[in-house]
Amino acid sequence: MAFGKLKKHTKDFVPPKLQITSMMDMFTIILIFLLFSFSNKPETMSLHKDMKLPESTADLDYRENINLVLSQTSLELGGKVIGTVKDGTIIGLDPKNLKTSTLYERLRSTRESTDKLAGDSNTKRHILFLCDKRLPFKTINCVVKAAAMAGYPNFQFGVLKK
Amino acid sequence: MSKLGRHRASGGEQTDIDMVPVMNMFLVLIPFLLMSVSFFHIKAINTSVPVLSQSQDGADKPISEKVTAIVEIEPNGFHVSAISDSVAYDELDKWDARVARKDQAEYPLDQLVAQLTRLKLRYPASDTLIIIPDGTVIYDTIIQAMDVARYHNNDALFPNVVLSGKVG
Repeated sequence: MAFGKLKKHTKDFVPPKLQITSMMDMFTIILIFLLFSFSNKPETMSLHKDMKLPESTADLDYRENINLVLSQTSLELGGKVIGTVKDGTIIGLDPKNLKTSTLYERLRSTRESTDKLAGDSNTKRHILFLCDKRLPFKTINCVVKAAAMAGYPNFQFGVLKK
Repeated sequence: MSKLGRHRASGGEQTDIDMVPVMNMFLVLIPFLLMSVSFFHIKAINTSVPVLSQSQDGADKPISEKVTAIVEIEPNGFHVSAISDSVAYDELDKWDARVARKDQAEYPLDQLVAQLTRLKLRYPASDTLIIIPDGTVIYDTIIQAMDVARYHNNDALFPNVVLSGKVG
């Protein structure tokens, strides 16, 4: 009888032993790789999806600085949006009167507070500037000028490694 | 017979280490690390903008002839020139050159490198470059020009880059 055969077969079934040693090896390698890729980064940062950084052969790691991000739609300082960009023009950043801009005011107050804490106004301050590669220089120039006037003439231009 | 040998001979059962908890831990750790790993490697180029400073006349006399290279990025190509306190104007005028861009194609970076290399070979102590882009030049072009002007074939050309807007 067919059912009798099936019953006999089920009785003899021994569950297979899962061989996980090779899987363990693989996981260990992945874990070590991921931990190593973590170790040499000063910090993580998030970028806009539409942001395209230029590629460069530069090999210098960026320092922990003030982050200034200029995308095709917005201007951000330390993760906070301080201006919008429309047709290559930054709203609220008048090229003829940069000292009235939010960017200038915030950077100046940051510089003054860090100078007070450090007790030295001659320390070299840097701004990590991340900018979309499609923006024209006239847009970038306003931001760079305002930052320099606020006491940050040294920049680190963030680029993607080629 | 040693104790160990006797134990083996008496048929000591081989016990499997339970790897399942370790596997569970790995399965939690790996997705967590994968979520926070970055696949983009951001690097930096040090740049500065010109600032007003007090002149140091006679404070430190130049030991060797040193020039500052100037690269103007225009919509139709590069304009390379040089300025210096220690080199005569007539000599500097010889370094004035234009590298034209043909039919709105890519900027001729190789010709720019050639001109800057000649300048560097003539004045090896020079290390500063001022880039003056036109308002319409895109950021990517500026970075490409900086790249080739700073280092070429692992040799430093003008590693100190200053970015400046056009005056007037």
